[in-house]
Amino acid sequence: MSSEAQASLQSVTKNFDGAIAVDDLSLEIMRGEFLSILGPSGCGKTTTLRMLGGFLIPDVGEIFLGGVNVTGVPPYRRDVNTVFQSYALFEHLDVADNVAFGLRRKRVGKPEIAKRVGEMLDLVGLRERARAKPAELSGGQQQRVALARALVNMPAVLLLDEPLGALDLKLRREMQIELKRIQREVGVTFVFVTHDQEEALTMSDRIAVMNHGKLQQVGRPAEIYEAPVNEFVAGFIGASNLLPGTVTGGHVALSGGVQMRLDGSRASAFRDGEEVVVSVRPEKLTITQPTPDTWVHVDGRIVDVVYLGAATNVTLEAGGDLHLLAIEFHASGRQQDRLAPGTEVAVSWDPEDALVLSNSRQVADDPPPQPKET
Amino acid sequence: MSAVAEERSGGLGLIRRRTRQRRAETFDRPRFLWIFTILMLVFLFVPVLVVILYSFNGQPSLVVMRGFSTQWYHEAITSGTWRGSLEVSIEIALVTMAACAVGGTLLAFGLDRANRHLARASESMLVLRLVSPETATAVASLLLFTQLGLTLSSETIVIAHIAVCLPFVAIVVRSRLALVNPELEDSAMDLGATRLRAIWLVVMPLLWPTLAAASMLCFVLSFDDFITSLFTSGVGTPPLPVRIYSMLRTGVTPVVNAIGVVMMLIAGGALIVALSMMRVGRSRSSLS
Repeated sequence: MSSEAQASLQSVTKNFDGAIAVDDLSLEIMRGEFLSILGPSGCGKTTTLRMLGGFLIPDVGEIFLGGVNVTGVPPYRRDVNTVFQSYALFEHLDVADNVAFGLRRKRVGKPEIAKRVGEMLDLVGLRERARAKPAELSGGQQQRVALARALVNMPAVLLLDEPLGALDLKLRREMQIELKRIQREVGVTFVFVTHDQEEALTMSDRIAVMNHGKLQQVGRPAEIYEAPVNEFVAGFIGASNLLPGTVTGGHVALSGGVQMRLDGSRASAFRDGEEVVVSVRPEKLTITQPTPDTWVHVDGRIVDVVYLGAATNVTLEAGGDLHLLAIEFHASGRQQDRLAPGTEVAVSWDPEDALVLSNSRQVADDPPPQPKET
Repeated sequence: MSAVAEERSGGLGLIRRRTRQRRAETFDRPRFLWIFTILMLVFLFVPVLVVILYSFNGQPSLVVMRGFSTQWYHEAITSGTWRGSLEVSIEIALVTMAACAVGGTLLAFGLDRANRHLARASESMLVLRLVSPETATAVASLLLFTQLGLTLSSETIVIAHIAVCLPFVAIVVRSRLALVNPELEDSAMDLGATRLRAIWLVVMPLLWPTLAAASMLCFVLSFDDFITSLFTSGVGTPPLPVRIYSMLRTGVTPVVNAIGVVMMLIAGGALIVALSMMRVGRSRSSLS
């Protein structure tokens, strides 16, 4: 364990009635970082969070907080606080009493409580609503109270269980920025659970991607996006065209007879005949533009065109069963009329921009490779 | 009240009013339905009114009303036997209420937290107890007490009453408990409260109105209970309903009307308190 780790999970496994929820997960959370645990529902991310919070005890493995083993320590004796998905505000107490709840349990002196609650309410901008009952607040305000109530205890790690899920899109965007600001200001380590990849990309210092109870990849947002380690990560973070193929003599044979050249170092990484998945981001696809011969060229037909303001999403069909999603950004003066459904077009991409993912690293039961919309 | 809450409740009120209007407009309702309402109310309340009326009878008759006097109330309150029975009834009802409030709440938590199969089985048994004919359970209580060699007294009545009322509290409190967000308790524990403290500090405040209402209803059930009391009473002053019944053998005087009115006032008062508390609980839970 590194000296900088604020919290760490070591080979943690948790079963519920025989169904595996978290499978041999090891993860280190660095001091002061904003780490997101990202994955689809049922991937074990909330179970992981609840184990960190002390609400669940792992069947196997250990949990450390600041170097101390806290595996079996109950929540009320852990230096960890949680912002719950439902906020779980105490309806019979007003905002200030909600925020003071944790300090009162720790028998902090009255003047100290008043001071810290006041500071915390300032931080979340709710000083004037200190005497309001939670039911009188808007969703966004309730969310801030929940955050203040947890953060006022200055925990070693703050756990957030999809806290923005119940807010509308505009408010969610605001709260994302707000959360990030608060985290920078107080310097507390945040572990943020979400299924929203955009949220994770915007807010996190690092992202831990989970699926089927297993940790898939941990890394900075750019790493996760640019260099996903497997098909699941490539498909889950951002949109990606995931094309199954077979390695043959320095090429990947994709369906529909399309060949993609592999450069030397990559060619040697795969056996001949190995099943792989080629991942190409939609923005890397070029439609009807002249491109170098070294690029992969495919003849396709436009199936659907969706205008998105700054860009246009184009769905294409090539060689019968090859479905592709391309994003065309609207550079000035570019003619968009050529992108009409039914038009036969030439699609191309640079093999350098495509990732070749070994099929063996992929987890069972993954969705079939298809262009995935975000 | 804040602007937000006002707006929210205003909005809800508006929606409710609109639905009511729409309903009134959409259907071509017959105009004479109010007659049935009146008939129903007459049917329900005439006996009550008769009792109230005759409790002020000027002469000692249960059938002929002549003159006005409060002599029966005077007799009911000053007579040692009637007062004794009233006190015993209230005492039994209070002890039953307290025991059911505590026991029923504990049982409700048990049902909420136990493993699902066990909880479901126990709950069905509670419901069974609630619907089983009181005569049968009263006789069963009597047989049990005599077999155990217990002397029938106010204590045996209390025990039997608790058995009648406890399932009621347990079921009502449990249904409220099922609506409480489990994350509340987690959250209190997360903030440093042990499980018991968490329940006391954040779950119980949500249960109080329901529990208070259920307890009041227990009080009324016990106070008014006749069948179970009759079978399980023995030595000592009998509770009011049993006293009234035994009066039938020695000759009924209009004092029974006055007693009846007093009982109605006590039970009615408790019921009104209970209902208003339930309403408080409901409006609070609907906000959360």
